[in-house]
Amino acid sequence: MARGDADAFDFLYDQVAASVFGIVRRVVRDPAQSEEVTQDVLLEVWRNAAKFDAERGSATAWVTTLAHRRAVDRVRSVQKEADRERRIATAVIPYDEVAEAVEANLERERVRRCLGSLTELQRESVTLAYYGGYTYNQVASLLGVPDGTVKTRMRDALIRLRDCLGVSE
Amino acid sequence: MSKRERDEHTLAGPYAMDAISGPDRARFERHLAGCGECAREVASLREATSRLAAATAISPPPELKERVMAAAAATRQQPPAAEPRAVGRRWHARRRVRIRLVLAVAAAAVAVVAVLFGVNNGVMRDQLNHDQASSQQVAAVLTARDATMKTGTVRGGGTVTIVMSHSMRQLVFTAADLRGLPAAGRYELWLAGPAGDRPVTMIPASHHGMAGPVVASGLRPGDHLVLTAEPSGGTSRPTTPIMFDVIL
Ligand SMILES: [Zn+2]
Repeated sequence: MARGDADAFDFLYDQVAASVFGIVRRVVRDPAQSEEVTQDVLLEVWRNAAKFDAERGSATAWVTTLAHRRAVDRVRSVQKEADRERRIATAVIPYDEVAEAVEANLERERVRRCLGSLTELQRESVTLAYYGGYTYNQVASLLGVPDGTVKTRMRDALIRLRDCLGVSE
Repeated sequence: MSKRERDEHTLAGPYAMDAISGPDRARFERHLAGCGECAREVASLREATSRLAAATAISPPPELKERVMAAAAATRQQPPAAEPRAVGRRWHARRRVRIRLVLAVAAAAVAVVAVLFGVNNGVMRDQLNHDQASSQQVAAVLTARDATMKTGTVRGGGTVTIVMSHSMRQLVFTAADLRGLPAAGRYELWLAGPAGDRPVTMIPASHHGMAGPVVASGLRPGDHLVLTAEPSGGTSRPTTPIMFDVIL
């Protein structure tokens, strides 16, 4: 690979690898599988760098969207009931306790505060879906509410989060 | 609008979180292709989910980077989608791939910097307003057709990344992992060259060692970019020590 490409990818790795590994770990749980998925995601970023389109969102969103999709695909392909229950328990952690589990981080603090501003149903829908890897139908049956309600709560929750986090488009 | 169509729009939330599977996903992707409103909404919701991901960040084991870099060196990049008459223009296509990657990288860096200097910190925000370039200025350099990138190491610790455009005679400077200076000291950025030494800016006190993005204008052929440690009041000429020096 050309020198400039290597430099650029090296730099990109330093910027995004922790977010990619973090979200993959949260969803996949298993450390060895998480490393595998993280490596696949970063290589996919490398291969498809030309497809990145700044008009359609930030580079970080492009990368983390890919990471989350691949992590979810991985857990759904090996979904087992026991594993699923374990993940329900862990999916809810981020709002309450994750702060002391890992080093202090401004971004984490801000996200925690914004999750705290959601209604309970919104927050549970988001954490089960995004961190737990569940579909909205699964979330609906876990929470005992209609599918349609969960769908709209998810959308409302993300809009509120987006505004709370000060995301500029 | 039919009930079915109304229902489709409400899937933007679940879709943005991958909380949708099989037939639902495929159906919504067909809908997305023809619904600009949903496409825009999904894109904006993904900026929020991206922050949910960033909040989980943990450093992967160092060996992973070696494995990924080695694998990338052996992996061919895809050409840009829909490149008409690409045959016989390989050089252009390849060059564009590289520029896009640099762009993606630089955009990621700007986003990370924006997060670190985030909306909550009033002092930082004021400094951003006064000392640092607006994101439009930064974006203009990053998206310049001749944008190229250089990285380097700062004496005493830290890395510098520069994206420059000679056609615009501008560059964007960012630094990471800068070592803290004594209370009376500040990093200062200079352009030095045949046309003389010109101060660019004092670098605002770094936040977790991150500094920038700063735009330097008026590049001339043969210029160097120089980083020095100076008294916090600034000086009219660069003194010592020189922490970083690169020919542009
Ligand atoms: Zn729609």
